[in-house]
Amino acid sequence: MEIITNNNTEEKRFKYFGAGLEFAIIYFKNILLTIITIGLYYPWAKVELLKYHYQSTALDNSRFTFHAKGKEVFKGFIKIYAILITLYAFLIYASQTQDLTLITTATILFYVFLLLLIPLAIHGSVRYRASRSSWKGIHFKYLGNRKELFLLYLKGLFFTIITFGIYGAWLQVDLRKYVLSNLRFGDLSFKFKGAGGELFWITLKFILLIYITLGIYGFWYYKNIIKFYVNNLEISQDGKPLSFKCNIKTADIVELLVINFFLLIFTLGLATPWVTVRTFKFILRFIIIEEGLDTERIQQVSYDDYDDATGDDFMDFLDFDLL
Amino acid sequence: MSYTIVYFDGTSSKMHKALLQITALRWDITFTEDDGSSKIISWDTTIIKKTNVYTESFVSYSYGKSFPFQRIESTDTALIEHVNSAKNIDLHKLDVLLHTNKRSSFLYLLTAILGIAIGMYFYVIPTVSTHFISNLNHKSVEGFGNFVFKVLSTDLEIDAEKTKKLQYFVDAIQIESTFPLEVYVAKSEDINAFAVSGGKIVVYDALLEKIENESQLLALIGHEISHIENRHVLKNVTRNLSGALFISILFGDISGINTVLAENAHLFSQLSFTRSLEKEADIYGLKIMKDNKVDLYGMSELFAILKDETKLDMPTYLSNHPMLKDRIEYTQKIAKEQGSISENTLLKEKWDALKTTFTNIELKDE
Repeated sequence: MEIITNNNTEEKRFKYFGAGLEFAIIYFKNILLTIITIGLYYPWAKVELLKYHYQSTALDNSRFTFHAKGKEVFKGFIKIYAILITLYAFLIYASQTQDLTLITTATILFYVFLLLLIPLAIHGSVRYRASRSSWKGIHFKYLGNRKELFLLYLKGLFFTIITFGIYGAWLQVDLRKYVLSNLRFGDLSFKFKGAGGELFWITLKFILLIYITLGIYGFWYYKNIIKFYVNNLEISQDGKPLSFKCNIKTADIVELLVINFFLLIFTLGLATPWVTVRTFKFILRFIIIEEGLDTERIQQVSYDDYDDATGDDFMDFLDFDLL
Repeated sequence: MSYTIVYFDGTSSKMHKALLQITALRWDITFTEDDGSSKIISWDTTIIKKTNVYTESFVSYSYGKSFPFQRIESTDTALIEHVNSAKNIDLHKLDVLLHTNKRSSFLYLLTAILGIAIGMYFYVIPTVSTHFISNLNHKSVEGFGNFVFKVLSTDLEIDAEKTKKLQYFVDAIQIESTFPLEVYVAKSEDINAFAVSGGKIVVYDALLEKIENESQLLALIGHEISHIENRHVLKNVTRNLSGALFISILFGDISGINTVLAENAHLFSQLSFTRSLEKEADIYGLKIMKDNKVDLYGMSELFAILKDETKLDMPTYLSNHPMLKDRIEYTQKIAKEQGSISENTLLKEKWDALKTTFTNIELKDE
């Protein structure tokens, strides 16, 4: 006898619906508008491209939605540039005085300031992105504390400096653990169970092998990194943890990257939107959430209407992307 | 007409397969609850929010003044058609238009980007930056020059005696200069001289020693004065920076290799701009020489000296100065038109005084 349940708990898959030419039109339309406005349109362009990727990504046949507004991102963009211009102005002023102490102080201050901005930017960026992301009408929410993240970063930065960078792997993992443990999706929570040592080993193998294999090891490294980040991710429903899984193989990575490379080279970069779409399609195909997640009964908890995109803009300036 | 949609009430992720009916004032969403009862939700059209991005064969809307927001999604082609054919003109309409004939839209966009980029790079940026520098007030130009000179001067070993004599020579030139002209002679084995914005000129003693008469010296100084008067350094820097910035904005997001290609192309175009400034300086230098009634052939003689000293005369496209051979030719052409001239005794006198500083050293060495 077949037991009919109302549950919707089978293994969950991601699917990317974006199409090359469709995205290319949006992509080049935004480049055109950015050029015409000498860069001022950039925040709106960034939002629209993200909206496209969200709306093209489906999990369990439902699409994600990005609710950000160009205006919010623009405000952050202006703030970040105001801060950076002030910093640069101070550096230029210092170099003009030819006072070595002042120049050294200004240079150190400049870098220290940039370094200290990073955790604040991560906090702001995650909170903004979480607040502006939803799926099936349920919003993400980031509950992390800015001060806690800052201290965690400061501690990690200190150890990274005194260990000549070795601790960097642990710092990265600690930040990810903190951010994800404070991320909520309705009444679901997340956890990152990777270890710093594991990331360190992946990075060390990369450094040791990349030159002697003339770069070929890069494919294995890329695969290891993706698996490290995806396979160590957990989502919990009613206190029951469920794993994300990525079963991508090195051969798949070779196929993805080699074709992307040729597409970009032979079109002088014009194939960028096709390459982006292809990459999303390719990677998402391999990611699944193990059986047990009931996507029909996730409860909305509360909404964090956080409209400050400054942190997100700073991450963008540093070329870090959380996605 | 009703469309098939999926409805989410905003409080849970439960998916309701529903039907949507659209009227001018409201959207009615009808679905069946788990207990079999039918439910109708009405949306006021003024509060409906569309996700502002175009994806083919998928539309979604959210609804509500305050949290939680309801949501509908649909892949129903009839609904998509209805949405796309709406009469109101907005950004979505532009997207619909662009996606109607994708291939030609893509080509139009590329052409527009290319056209605007070329126009910006070759016309707008140079014109705006040159205009900006030409209208910059004297104080700023001098301030910038002083700053640059201050940095450079730490590496220069100035010869006080020669500097004094060369300054006398420059003071004797008849010219209405907008900037106070200050010359410096620096010790160096390089055969070179350069101008700094705002009126400062540095000549290396090795070059000065090669110069044979006052017209050659005036050719050199006149060329440098021209750089100062026409604000060439600032024009060059501004154009270079703004051009590079534009290239990086344009190519920054595309790919590393193309950025390198584009930056190299920019370097070449910049070299050609620099060369055009050098030619302008040569021509203006000749005018100063003419006004001071010295032999215009001094300029081509100066280039001949430089040519002898520079063993490798780079092809024009690789060098920031026009090829010396070309410069000798076009300056000689202008010199030919000069009628007979009487000697400029004042400049000759100052030149002779300067020349003695070299002969004195030679005597001392012996």
